[in-house]
Amino acid sequence: MSPDGRPGRLLVVDDNKVNRLLLGRGLEQQGHQVAFAENGRQALDMLHEGGFDLVLLDIEMPVMDGYEVMEKLTGDLDLRGIPVIVVSSLEELDGVVRCIEMGAEDYLTKPVSPVLLRARIDASLEKKRLRDQQRELLRRFATAEVAQDLAESGFSLGGRYVEATAMFSDIRGFTSLAASQSPADTIELLNTYYILMFEAITGQGGVVNQMVGDGLMAIFGAPLPLDNHGEQAVRAALEMIEMIELFNLDQATAGRPAIQIGIGIATGQVIAGYTGTQRRATYTCVGSTVNLAARLESHTKVAGQPILIDESTRQALSPSIEALGLGATQIKGIVDDVAVYAIPVGQRL
Amino acid sequence: MGIDTIIDGATFDDLKDTMGADFIEEIIDTYNEETAALVEQLRQALTAQDPTTFGRCAHSIKSSSASLGALAFAEQARELELMGKAGDLSDAGPRVERLAADFALVRRSLEELRDES
Repeated sequence: MSPDGRPGRLLVVDDNKVNRLLLGRGLEQQGHQVAFAENGRQALDMLHEGGFDLVLLDIEMPVMDGYEVMEKLTGDLDLRGIPVIVVSSLEELDGVVRCIEMGAEDYLTKPVSPVLLRARIDASLEKKRLRDQQRELLRRFATAEVAQDLAESGFSLGGRYVEATAMFSDIRGFTSLAASQSPADTIELLNTYYILMFEAITGQGGVVNQMVGDGLMAIFGAPLPLDNHGEQAVRAALEMIEMIELFNLDQATAGRPAIQIGIGIATGQVIAGYTGTQRRATYTCVGSTVNLAARLESHTKVAGQPILIDESTRQALSPSIEALGLGATQIKGIVDDVAVYAIPVGQRL
Repeated sequence: MGIDTIIDGATFDDLKDTMGADFIEEIIDTYNEETAALVEQLRQALTAQDPTTFGRCAHSIKSSSASLGALAFAEQARELELMGKAGDLSDAGPRVERLAADFALVRRSLEELRDES
């Protein structure tokens, strides 16, 4: 029998050797690679060595039971991404519920049916693959790309002035949206949102360098130089809005709420540098241009426009991109009035 | 009791079909060894008046026995498990001895099934 999904490396945790053998045999027949642990303590030690795609976890075990394993896994940044399927008797349903509340992905009852085993394992492995891809995206753009740049250019952790374009984006009304749906839906929504935004931003040569909750910051023109970073940022912003509109169609089909985003963009001198440690550095930009971009993003709610840019960004735009002058505008947190422009969405570029 | 009432034929045959006849031998031998040890641990937990370990051992006997089709035996283990969970082992003594005696029957039946295949 060959597996429907791609094979994975699985850890079977059960104190009963017969159960381990039966489950192990079933999984091997489906093409998976299987390792065994007799209790929770041994399982954690093995998981820390790495390389596992999924855990099948018994609840009642000596030394360390399934609950404690769940608690340790969810508290561990390296291990919390590994899906857990609880394997228990029908009578232990209360325990299963408790494990699922603690973050277990699914459950199977003993004696395990081979058909259900295959379906649940394949589904969990597939979900993990998607999550791994998302994490890889985040890692690549938030730190590793930067780390590589550090290594290649011999760039010091010290700062310098750079001419660049800063962009801020966030989801409007996110807090009330999060309150209206399950935590799992909220995280899934955030992950999809990030994937879409990353795609639009990196597609135009920008680098996402900060993500906090539903907000993100991106830089165009640094750490690597980018021709016409102001226009690239605006093109990315238009694409982001377009992607959100497509995403909202999906949401509507699934009976889920639509989301709206606001984007602020400013161009000028920024203070750029790496902050953090040599191993985990983030490229950061600070200064008045960055501040202005953040303030413009907040101002999108006041202006009722999804994309706002400053004068320097507008000057960088080719005539084919339309910008609507909103005049000298008082912006919260900035002393002098600022010339603000809105970018009408849905422009054909 | 005949084999049929000790080991549920449908469960056992299903298991043999999905796992393969060669693997069934290994499973039976492992089950007999493990369960003998668990019955012994059950006795010790009773002597030590340790309901937690008692319940866990009975739970373990229950789950593997059910997988092999020893359904009535699994049910006996389940009752002992519940005693352990309730923290009251006062009536457990005779039941543990009955479980140990019935295990001898289960073991023999499984060995016969193993040798048949």
